[in-house]
Amino acid sequence: MSPFSLNVSKIFRSSWNNFFEEVGATAQFAADFSKQLFFPPYETKETIKQCYEIGYRSFPLVAITSFIIGLVLTLQSRPTLIEFGAEAWLPSMVGISIIREIGPVITALICAGKIGSSIGAELGSMRVTEQIDAMEVSGTNPFKYIAVTRMIATTLMVPVLVVLGDAIALYGSYLAVNLKSTITLKLYFNQVFESSDFSDAIPSIIKSYFFGFAIGLTGCYKGYNSRKGTEGVGRSANSAVVVSSLLIFIIDLIAVQITEFLGLI
Amino acid sequence: MSTEPIIEVIHLKKSFGKNQVMTNFNLTVVRGENVVVLGRSGCGKSVLIKCIVGLLPYDEGSIRIFGKEICTLPKQELDQLRARIGFVFQSSALYDSMTVGENLEFPLIRHQKDKSKSEIQRMVQETLANVGLAHAINLMPAELSGGMRKRIGLARALVLKPEIILYDEPTTGLDPITAKEISQLMLQLQRTYNTTSIIISHDMNCSRLTANRMCVMIDGINHAEGTFESLSTSLDTKVNSFFEQTQA
Repeated sequence: MSPFSLNVSKIFRSSWNNFFEEVGATAQFAADFSKQLFFPPYETKETIKQCYEIGYRSFPLVAITSFIIGLVLTLQSRPTLIEFGAEAWLPSMVGISIIREIGPVITALICAGKIGSSIGAELGSMRVTEQIDAMEVSGTNPFKYIAVTRMIATTLMVPVLVVLGDAIALYGSYLAVNLKSTITLKLYFNQVFESSDFSDAIPSIIKSYFFGFAIGLTGCYKGYNSRKGTEGVGRSANSAVVVSSLLIFIIDLIAVQITEFLGLI
Repeated sequence: MSTEPIIEVIHLKKSFGKNQVMTNFNLTVVRGENVVVLGRSGCGKSVLIKCIVGLLPYDEGSIRIFGKEICTLPKQELDQLRARIGFVFQSSALYDSMTVGENLEFPLIRHQKDKSKSEIQRMVQETLANVGLAHAINLMPAELSGGMRKRIGLARALVLKPEIILYDEPTTGLDPITAKEISQLMLQLQRTYNTTSIIISHDMNCSRLTANRMCVMIDGINHAEGTFESLSTSLDTKVNSFFEQTQA
């Protein structure tokens, strides 16, 4: 074997090992979270504060993006549906697309960008400026105070943002329909809800909890284990976004398989 | 000063991978004593106090605080012990997202659960007044100067009225006047709170002011020990090199 191929195989093996080490450490982090979740002290005040920071502060961005997505999706779909003489199906088609797939995934991706990066950077800077060590020497469990509270907040708040985002996207879609023709709000939403039922909404809300957990887990894991000063903080924020976005798609893929297996599609 | 040993470090060994920072370190600190640990950058001085407070595990040896072996203590007992130890970080490590007052309240809320909100407020104000920064209670850490941050870091370490204080380079990064003020404050607080301290420092003026005893860490061992005066006149070139600047 040539020295070049030996080198390539060595690099490949080392990256593969690093990958599995990282997966194992993240799984351990998630296991620690579940262990700490049920034992006092419960940092209720900090959890509520994080819910406000994560949920309320992310709402404007989620609202604007969802509105635009609903509007654009409707405007883009309309010509094709007209071609097939199915313009009347526009509210139903857009409604199902938003509730089942586009709403949860787009909202989760926005949250991964906004929340994931901010958690990664905040915890990373707390680590490199010794604030986490200071918490530990003051007799507080920093993992519980910093990581568990944020992971609970993302898990609870992302589904709320998804539901609100869906509603705003549908309103955007209603406005888009009214740009080209006329329909009342009541008739529009009647058509949307007639064609969709709980089997569309429930799986997408359930998967939103997993999206929220994945965003919190990745952000906290990357930030909490940040090293190498300010460079490490930047890397933590960046990899929190990249990994949580990837996890969102993987969870979505698994969720669609499960809903299909259960006959909900 | 009593002869009761408060901190005992015995045959301590600590390495990071292949880099062995402490090979056989020994130190005993008695109640009420201020011990300055001197050494070159990266020689393991900060590692020593992080091992003492249980932030870093050590490889071999023993650390006893109030007669209790640190590495065998269960988490809950270790936390109770930590409430009796104040730690002043090199970077002050103030919580960015909290005001100065909340920084000081943080350990109090967790360790003195029987205290009412007004009592906690009073303790915070009293501690801030002791470091001369009572007016800074509502400021955020980002609004503080370097010297103020050090004082607040000191106040946070003192708020639980600890028996031991560990200082990690308390005057690093400060101008000589502020550094002297901090050193004098450390002395004054030691008298007020009757604490036992280990001070990690490169600052010879700070060491001269605060140390009852000094220990020079070289090659991972306690190379020399004595008062500032005895070490500054030492014939050992390794020890003497630390004092050359002050003698010049």
